[in-house]
Amino acid sequence: MDVFDNLANGIVSILTVQNILLLLAGVMMGMVVGVMPGLGPSAGLAILLPITFALDPTGAIVMLAAVYYGAMYGGTITSVLINTPGESATVASTFDGYPLAKQGRAGPALVMAAVGSFVAGITGAVLISIASPLTASVAASFGPPELFLIVVLGLLTLIVIIGGNKLLGALSALIGFAIATVGIDIGTGQQRYTFGSVELINGIDFIPVAIGLFGVGEVLHTLWRGGHLEKLAYFNVSARSRGFWPTKADYRESAAPIARGSLLGFFVGATPGAGATVASLMSYNLEKSVSKTPEKFGKGAMPGLAGPEAANNAASSGAMVPLLTLGIPGSASTAVLLGGFLLWGLQPGPLLMTQNPEFAWGLIASMFLGNIMLLVVNIFCIPAFASIARVPFRVLGPIIIVVCVLGTFTVNASIVEVAIMLVCGVLGFFMRRFGLSPAALVIALVLGPLAEESLRQTMIISGGSFGIFLDRSTSQVLLVLIVVMLLLPLLLPQLSAMAKSGLAQLGSRRRAERQDAATSVDEDAADTPQGTDDHARSSGPSR
Amino acid sequence: MKITKTLAAAAATAAVLALSACGGGDSGGGLAGGDYPSEDMDWTIAFGPGGGNDIMARTIVDILQREELYPENIVVENRDGGSGATGWGYLLGQSGSGYGISTTSGSFITTPLQADTGWEPTDFTPVGLMAADNALLITAGDSDWQTYDEWVDYATEKGKVVVGGIGTVNVDFILQQMIADANGYEIDYVPYNDEGQMQTSLLSGAIDSMISNPGSIMGQIEAGQTSALLFTGPERLEALPDVPTGEEEGISDMPSMPRGLILPPDAPEEAQEWWIETMQEVAESEAWQDYLEENFLVEDERWGEDFTTYLDETQTSFEEQLTELGAL
Repeated sequence: MDVFDNLANGIVSILTVQNILLLLAGVMMGMVVGVMPGLGPSAGLAILLPITFALDPTGAIVMLAAVYYGAMYGGTITSVLINTPGESATVASTFDGYPLAKQGRAGPALVMAAVGSFVAGITGAVLISIASPLTASVAASFGPPELFLIVVLGLLTLIVIIGGNKLLGALSALIGFAIATVGIDIGTGQQRYTFGSVELINGIDFIPVAIGLFGVGEVLHTLWRGGHLEKLAYFNVSARSRGFWPTKADYRESAAPIARGSLLGFFVGATPGAGATVASLMSYNLEKSVSKTPEKFGKGAMPGLAGPEAANNAASSGAMVPLLTLGIPGSASTAVLLGGFLLWGLQPGPLLMTQNPEFAWGLIASMFLGNIMLLVVNIFCIPAFASIARVPFRVLGPIIIVVCVLGTFTVNASIVEVAIMLVCGVLGFFMRRFGLSPAALVIALVLGPLAEESLRQTMIISGGSFGIFLDRSTSQVLLVLIVVMLLLPLLLPQLSAMAKSGLAQLGSRRRAERQDAATSVDEDAADTPQGTDDHARSSGPSR
Repeated sequence: MKITKTLAAAAATAAVLALSACGGGDSGGGLAGGDYPSEDMDWTIAFGPGGGNDIMARTIVDILQREELYPENIVVENRDGGSGATGWGYLLGQSGSGYGISTTSGSFITTPLQADTGWEPTDFTPVGLMAADNALLITAGDSDWQTYDEWVDYATEKGKVVVGGIGTVNVDFILQQMIADANGYEIDYVPYNDEGQMQTSLLSGAIDSMISNPGSIMGQIEAGQTSALLFTGPERLEALPDVPTGEEEGISDMPSMPRGLILPPDAPEEAQEWWIETMQEVAESEAWQDYLEENFLVEDERWGEDFTTYLDETQTSFEEQLTELGAL
């Protein structure tokens, strides 16, 4: 058991007082940075990277791993409490997290998210230890065709989110695609819709748009419907009260989504490109498809928060696989880490793990300890965070706007981005007012350019033929997955109806037997739909 | 009470972060004659942390501080955005001051070709070119062509190959085209935004070869995952003694990324002189030589006006080549 020896050595090597303090400091700083709208893990790492130059590589990586996880969770806090995702990977957490907070269940939502993240983080660290070589070969089979298909999988979520009015939903997504076209076109090097502005050369960033649409837009909309005059229902946020903790039903509902989200997230996260974002969206999509009560999604369904939260955290572990085994950064955050490797005098590449085992295993071990630290810190901090949801809106509203402006400005010190953010705030208000979907817009904005870029690269490679998607084996697997994702919501009700009618035709004796068995296993569900459900679970994430 | 504390903490962090982000701005100013330097240096890095430009800047600052060459503080700030347009635009705004400085890279030449940045490389006060960042032609370690000759045979036989590089208006595109022209094969050039995606793309067999900088790819070459076919620098790399140079294969004047230093436009003469002298000292230091070796950079020193002439010539030839290729 080489792996466990290595891991044990890794844990022992980082268990010094200095490292534990660095871990604690990293988690706290990461959370504070993550709570600022606009500052996600990659920005947090970039800001704090220079601080680590004074440390030895192991101490530095321990601290940065802690910052990474802290910032990931910080983003969840703002998504749930003020409906403002700090980065694209937590967009899916707003769908059900914010409705939960509005129902006065901010405490349970945040605890559940922390538990989900913790389980996923540990799962991810275990999988890194044992499945790295396998996953590395998956990651190395990803060219533009595969990247395009995986982005399409993420975009499929749009169908699920749009839900109600298809036309307005499609319009929202199209606005997102349109905003995404601004900037230098990678294919030809020409500028599109920049109107000569230097600030727009790199395109319109996701961050100011998301902060404006969600944060400021929500404030304006609440004011418009008179939310500042409403009296808030009192709810308890003390860790000692019952209402603070998730109920048994919450845990039972969330267990399977967390498990699925962890596995899905890890493998999607290992693919270079849109890892955590696509993983969280796919998880949401999957949970709604397999749910027995899909109508609850978007109105505060715990599985709709727990699944994506587990997925985005597992994805951040998954992103470490190509970094450690191939020397290839799979996300913005790991690209910053790669820069850190070079600055600490390490040579990233496939030999990193063999040439610097104490460093590589120290990193994996610090992921374990970082997740434990995060859970511990959170149990103490969540009551304070959750009480934000109890602040009267006439006080909270102006603070949110100030924090949104500061957060946007901090990222690139760009006043143009603050202007974009405020314009998007007004846009967000009207979108809500007329039933458009800000979430669809934001997803289209993040995934649109990736889809365009990878499709154009694919077409250059294949000389314009779509046959390339059928030639490559990883592409074939992904195509099958897309078909399954599309058919799942259509087939599930029919499958369960078929099974039900089949059951009805069976003799009454056998039926009675089966129902007896069913009630003894699961008291609240008939066994048949449960059976198809399990089938769907196993066919979904087992890529 | 808890609420206000949390919010106050968040607000305070925001304020601190905001301040640090815009801190150090406008520290330039009038010079009192003869006693340069007497103020803090405002050091702009036009890209994010961790990239080639960032590592070079931080190495130089580290040497300046360790050897106590600069008597005052040096405030280093990453001002990224717009492929360097933001950072160098900031330096442009310090016009006339001797207390702003920045490091250059390939984008210093290509970004103004692509966008109306409001500045040209020749507008700035040159300190000097210190090194050239050359590139390698790379192929996957399990491909059938493992040397330059095998690659040329494969490509000419096939007639048209699929190759990759970073960006369109960039050195990578010019290099791929030069190699193809010299051997009479055609290319379909696939532009990438991101080194990681390009590398996995090569390993997955989607593209036949790519252009990469030695620093970012050496680990994978050592592991046998990728193979180097050609080096674009003037002499063979010590780490890769079997890989021929473009010059040896009959391809001359292959462009490279200029790694140098610039001051704001119209910086005072004494500031320019001080920096040229100081950087010549840095260039001789052991730490700098170590940096060159670790990052596989080729020493190429051109000071003052020589640097401006070099930038001007390079930009003109880039412009000609990219226009010919239809990228501009």
